[in-house]
Amino acid sequence: MKVAVVAVTALVLASGAAAETPKLTVYAAASLTDVMPRIDARQRYSFGGSNQLAFQIRQGAPADVFMSASPEFTQALYRDRLVEKPHRFCSNKLVLAVPRSNPAGLRTVFDLKRKDVKLVVGTARVPVGSYTREVLRRLGMSSLLTKVVSEEPDVKSIVGKVALGQADAGFVYSTDVRVASDRLRAIRIPPWAQPKVHYEVAVVRSSEHRAAARAWIARLEQGRARRMLRAAGFGIR
Amino acid sequence: MSARRAAFSAALTAATAIVIAFLLLPVVAIFVDVPPGRLLDGLRSDAAGDALRVTLKTNLIALGLILLIGTPAAYQLARRQFRGRAFVITLVELPLVLPPAVAGVGLLAAFGTLGLLGGTIDAFGLSIAFTQTAVVMAVAFVASPFYIRTAIAAFEAVDPALLDAARTLGAGPARVFARVALPLAASGLGAGAALAFARGVGEFGATIMFAGSLRGVTQTLSLAIYELFDVDFDAALAVSALLVVVSGTLLLVAKLLPTWTRSPSTFLSGSVRSTSS
Repeated sequence: MKVAVVAVTALVLASGAAAETPKLTVYAAASLTDVMPRIDARQRYSFGGSNQLAFQIRQGAPADVFMSASPEFTQALYRDRLVEKPHRFCSNKLVLAVPRSNPAGLRTVFDLKRKDVKLVVGTARVPVGSYTREVLRRLGMSSLLTKVVSEEPDVKSIVGKVALGQADAGFVYSTDVRVASDRLRAIRIPPWAQPKVHYEVAVVRSSEHRAAARAWIARLEQGRARRMLRAAGFGIR
Repeated sequence: MSARRAAFSAALTAATAIVIAFLLLPVVAIFVDVPPGRLLDGLRSDAAGDALRVTLKTNLIALGLILLIGTPAAYQLARRQFRGRAFVITLVELPLVLPPAVAGVGLLAAFGTLGLLGGTIDAFGLSIAFTQTAVVMAVAFVASPFYIRTAIAAFEAVDPALLDAARTLGAGPARVFARVALPLAASGLGAGAALAFARGVGEFGATIMFAGSLRGVTQTLSLAIYELFDVDFDAALAVSALLVVVSGTLLLVAKLLPTWTRSPSTFLSGSVRSTSS
């Protein structure tokens, strides 16, 4: 009898503790692959193109939190009442990444107009790809899109192709070059051509841990997380 | 006792039903989700048409190379007995069980711009990154073991006495290969080619890593499905349906070929029997 009471108490305590800090499943943009586990290694992450993560959430994927590299996808899910109101939590910049050895000898983005530069971009759908198209439009270089050698499903695939020297250049986020700085160099894009790259985070409505997810997001806006995001090169308001 | 036996046979039937349902449901769902008319519309999209052309071209070239080089190699491995033969055959079969991502990394490490042979390829003024050549190489890497494995078995099944007979009648080794071994192994070779082609058409992982994805150049049907699925799920379903039909047909060919080509010999024995009666 006594044993049973102790066991039940232990169970209740254990489940209580588990309810306080459930492990959250966070669907996050591929460009957050390096920084998020460093900010909080206890959660479960699924990284990918924001468009594909949004699609998976629409299909009922068991995500608690969605972190998108573009408001487009969080806002669309919010309109369809699939996520709670999204928050902006950081920003980023686009750069042109080239391999350290820079085989095509690129010095500015305008050097891309030369022939025979193997340029890799994201698909039109993935945030980094739509930002890239915006940059090229502002630079008056949209015709370059016809010379692109590969359209990649997410930013990590672009980074990989450039870091391996398969491609001569690729448009990625400045934070991606920092992570792979031993293999990549960044060529700056003129500020007037820079798109607004905002990351949004939202609680998924079908989540069983919405309160915990909201608390987790609130912690993202606090000192330590913000410091780490800034240290990784993300913009913080 | 008989109740136990009935329970056992019921369990077997249930297991079989689960296997069939589980394996078939996703395939059926592809056709159920979208009505046939919309499927055809999806296939008429430019992205699907381009992907179909790229897939056919790269896979036919890859298959041609596999047949041209794989057939004599398989003949050699089937006929020659040498130390470490089993080991060599196992090496050839390795890509069968390699994860596609590993194949992609391996191809990059070997033939990538900064890979083992990258400098050599550069020196010849060639560049295979992001070209259809890269797609062909990815396809050949993952698909050729399917052909070579089946081809070795087909050559091994050829009665050595027939080859010896041809030789004693004065045929040189090349002639024995071309006029005796090849025709006798043809059905097995055809089945292997169909399997290899099916695997090649479905190639995804190594291609996207090694060749990238660009519409009309390196974007095969599998890559198109991956790019389309969140934008236009109907189109992704349509392309998937096409691949189900193509792959199913190839599997059927691989299964039926051996029985078809065995028919001349059964026909022969049948005619012998009929004359003797």
